[in-house]
Amino acid sequence: MTRALGWLAVLGLVVGLGAGFGYAPREAVQGNVQRIMYLHVPAVLTAYLAFGLVLAGSIGYLATRRPSWDRLAAAAGELGVLFTGLTIVSGSIWGKPTWGTWWTWDARLTSTAVLFMVYVGYLLLRSLIEDPDARARYAAVVGILGAVNIPIVHFSVKWWRALHQPSTILGPERSPIDPAIGLALFVNWVAFTLLFAYFLARRMEIARLEEQT
Amino acid sequence: MPSNWGYVFAAYGIAAVALLTYWRHLARRTRALAARRAAKPRAA
Amino acid sequence: MSACAKEPGRSAVVAYTKRAWIVLWKDFLIERRAKEHANALLFFCLLLLFLFQFALGPDRERLATAVPGLLWLGFILAGLLGLGRSFLGERDNDCWEGLRLTPGDKSAIYLGKLAGNCVLMTAVEIILVVLFGVFYNIDLWTPAAPLALVLALGTIGLAAVGTLFAAMTTQVRARELLFPVLLLPVQVPVLLATVSATQALLLGQPLADVAHWLKLLAGADLVYVTIGILTFEFVLEG
Repeated sequence: MTRALGWLAVLGLVVGLGAGFGYAPREAVQGNVQRIMYLHVPAVLTAYLAFGLVLAGSIGYLATRRPSWDRLAAAAGELGVLFTGLTIVSGSIWGKPTWGTWWTWDARLTSTAVLFMVYVGYLLLRSLIEDPDARARYAAVVGILGAVNIPIVHFSVKWWRALHQPSTILGPERSPIDPAIGLALFVNWVAFTLLFAYFLARRMEIARLEEQT
Repeated sequence: MPSNWGYVFAAYGIAAVALLTYWRHLARRTRALAARRAAKPRAA
Repeated sequence: MSACAKEPGRSAVVAYTKRAWIVLWKDFLIERRAKEHANALLFFCLLLLFLFQFALGPDRERLATAVPGLLWLGFILAGLLGLGRSFLGERDNDCWEGLRLTPGDKSAIYLGKLAGNCVLMTAVEIILVVLFGVFYNIDLWTPAAPLALVLALGTIGLAAVGTLFAAMTTQVRARELLFPVLLLPVQVPVLLATVSATQALLLGQPLADVAHWLKLLAGADLVYVTIGILTFEFVLEG
């Protein structure tokens, strides 16, 4: 079953690549660099999905004490950090030719970086506790706090940016979406979600087997 | 507007490497687990 | 307890508050006798003053513009030291079991510790504000009232999460590293809000201009304290 999911994910990614490079047109203003968006946006959406699952797993464990919830949180946390890292790196590479700099403290990149740090801390905490029950409980508390903090971070960074940059930079989300670009984006997002589901299933299985051994 | 393909390939390349590395990491852990379970005297 | 039969709800609230108060009073007494925390933190504030001056150089202007950020940087650094030790007394003196076996709602302990930490942080802040005013020649008296509000809201935010994470990391390896690593990312919104608001206030802007930051802080504080209350018992177990 998991293998089928894996192959489906590969198929999705191939189709996504085709859509991103073949089907979608060259963007008028930014040129071909804009194609990084087909990687960057699905990555961040997948990261948010992952952290939503961390929240679910955390609440689930505290409510039921069933280890399967903690396994979900652990696996999703790992994947969330992976995809957030990809988001940041792809965003940075996109930014260099577009805005001339590897890093800008714009709202989305900054929020994503904070998100990254919160969940790296989450993984660090998990790695430092051996007792499975304590680990699950403590991680759950951090998982809940981290997730609930996301909107608070979003607003605080957004308002902070408004103070410092009366932005005339053409942000990627400003241009009206050409339907072909929209479709390519959607296809890639589906592909990433399938890949995420596959990784999640395998990672949770590993956790389950590790507990038994 | 320069075509900037280098950046595009860099981004996708890094993503591919990262995802492949993670996949191999999962595969390695699965193999190690399977070996440990097979080595244990009692049935899995 | 004759009150129980008549007003069970009310006596439960009274008992809860009493438990929180006892934790606060106990910590205060310990501190007053030993004076370890307070003295060290006071001296730390003085050191920070010099640190910032040396780091930013003799240019008065540059220091003045950086004051809001430095003020909160100072609080956070002091907070990392002071808050991280919240439960060390219980751990080192084998009182952890005592905490766990306390009857009733464990969150009372959290609130008691939170109150104590708020008092501690407020003392640190007052000292830092006074030191900044004196050594950096900043007028912190005129905007004192609105500034106090920002300080209060920021303190609650810092202490609420700090107390919770302190309880969590007390028993974990590499506590001194893990506590800041966990606390700082979560505190980013509080930092952004308080520094922005402080900056505006020091430039003479009215309180109304920073209302949105205050609302954000108040909302965040509510969320953090609520989560602290709800999850503290899970941290205390085991």
